[in-house]
Amino acid sequence: MSEQHPDPDQTESPAEPLYTHPASPFVHTDTSAPAHVDMPALPPAPSTWVIYRTQIEFGLAMLAYLMVLVGSITVLQANPNASWRYVIAVLPVVPAALALSIFVRALARLDELQKRIQMMAFGFSLGATALVTFGYGFLEGVGLPHLSWTFVLPLMAILWGVGTAIFTLRYR
Amino acid sequence: MKNRLRVLRAELDWSQAELAERLGVSRQTVNAIETGKYDPSLPLAFSLARTFNRKIEEIFEAELVRR
Repeated sequence: MSEQHPDPDQTESPAEPLYTHPASPFVHTDTSAPAHVDMPALPPAPSTWVIYRTQIEFGLAMLAYLMVLVGSITVLQANPNASWRYVIAVLPVVPAALALSIFVRALARLDELQKRIQMMAFGFSLGATALVTFGYGFLEGVGLPHLSWTFVLPLMAILWGVGTAIFTLRYR
Repeated sequence: MKNRLRVLRAELDWSQAELAERLGVSRQTVNAIETGKYDPSLPLAFSLARTFNRKIEEIFEAELVRR
């Protein structure tokens, strides 16, 4: 048996359900509320899937970067004097550029609070990376083994993640 | 900044996620505004006012104490 709606207009207006009941504690006290004005809507927030897809794409790009990096180093160690060694040496920049483009697109999609959190996380990551790399540089001066520059980016990425977690918790 | 967002949202029986979707922001941002941990930008404040069909000062109350 289907339910009959005596007044479709009334049943379809969800605007202020709490005001419609006579015993409602919510009472309009202000009759000077501004009239509704049509304004352009903000762009829709990205769906969870878009966020996950971006994270997966970024992860894959970083994986590609690490694989190309390891491959490049292996090839260069086997062919230290080849004429094409410069091309192979710079090859890891390609997947890194891909990761960069995915990353910048993802940043542009963030809302204002998320952008603020990311800015603080980047600041934290930059400063903390400077501390760690300079600290280790001083230790290298007194005999610790030399580490490659390529450790700097993964370090920065890890500290960026830590910073994002810290500043996300601050706004929770 | 103090605000009446939670009350206004409850009056319309909207979840934070629903309001976030209407505003085009994340649920995290709606929560941070509601709890007073984040003050929205002017465009977002206007968007909130428009969504609830109220004036901005009916939703937000400036705290004169310097933070």
